[in-house]
Amino acid sequence: MLNPQIVLFLCATLFCIGLYGVLSRNNLILMLMSLELMLNSANIALVAFSRYWAGKGLDAGSFSGAHSGQFFALMVMAVAAAEVGVGLAIIVALFRKRHNSDVRAASELKH
Amino acid sequence: MEVFFLLSSMVAVAGAVLVVTQRVAIYALLGLLVSFFGTAGIFYALDATFVAVSQILVYAGALAVLFLFVLMFASDDPPEAGPLVTVGARKDFDPAAVKPVEARARPRLSMPSFGAALLSLAVLALMYFAIYKLPPRFGEFGGVAPQTQVHKTNPRPGEPLTEMVEFGSARGVGYAIFDDFPLAFEVVSLLIFAAILGAVLLTRRSAAQSRAEQEAAAREGEAGAEGAGGSHA
Repeated sequence: MLNPQIVLFLCATLFCIGLYGVLSRNNLILMLMSLELMLNSANIALVAFSRYWAGKGLDAGSFSGAHSGQFFALMVMAVAAAEVGVGLAIIVALFRKRHNSDVRAASELKH
Repeated sequence: MEVFFLLSSMVAVAGAVLVVTQRVAIYALLGLLVSFFGTAGIFYALDATFVAVSQILVYAGALAVLFLFVLMFASDDPPEAGPLVTVGARKDFDPAAVKPVEARARPRLSMPSFGAALLSLAVLALMYFAIYKLPPRFGEFGGVAPQTQVHKTNPRPGEPLTEMVEFGSARGVGYAIFDDFPLAFEVVSLLIFAAILGAVLLTRRSAAQSRAEQEAAAREGEAGAEGAGGSHA
């Protein structure tokens, strides 16, 4: 049988790979991609806890609450989609001004 | 299901490693896509069918395509080199010096950045330690009954108070969304609306800007026509 600890180890691994990507890249698009990886790993943890709740039957025979984790995962997806939309718009606006998508080129708030 | 979980998690981790190591942005995006599909497999192995499907729809279907569009639009290399070129700022960029993609010797993987590697490894060790220290009573995932009842909070008159749903099905998650957390659902719709407005405002050109660009283009066109006429004569 699957172990929640294994799933959490996987989440931690994916999260840290994404963290490494965000820290080591200079390109905004690639940083945004790594950020998506981190959000995804959080989603896996939420779904794993939802599955754990359903398996333990914490709600005594019904799982009205067990779907909460999956609901939160869906909300995280919506927030991630909004974030990528705005982030990519910022990248496009930056690219018009600076003609590259390097974070070091965007060190000023004024254009 | 365990084997399926392990396979999908390997796919997800492999895709994630591609995302952070590839120098070519399109390949990194493909790695991200692979990782999304692996994650969908993990969701399926955890009995979250609806979340798995929406993962593929939202991430692989919409986000990856959006990334692809911006990557093709905002790549730092000239268009004739194609999209399969390296990304990253090059201050001393000279379009004349660009060779075709095949001819250029470019590193396939980016150099590891030691500070970033050190910090993320430290975070990884901390998380592993915390997960390893989980109390033993945490145990394993129990089995899930094929159907279990949910309590409706707002049943219509005459409807039963409970309903039998499958765990992870659209019906079950729908009860969670519209019965348990309707306010969060509404707030998220506001958030997405704000994001749409923000994206449009950020990428919109002002009237003065587009007029200036048109004038510049017209001037260039005139200059080009004159030059062509001169050479012809």
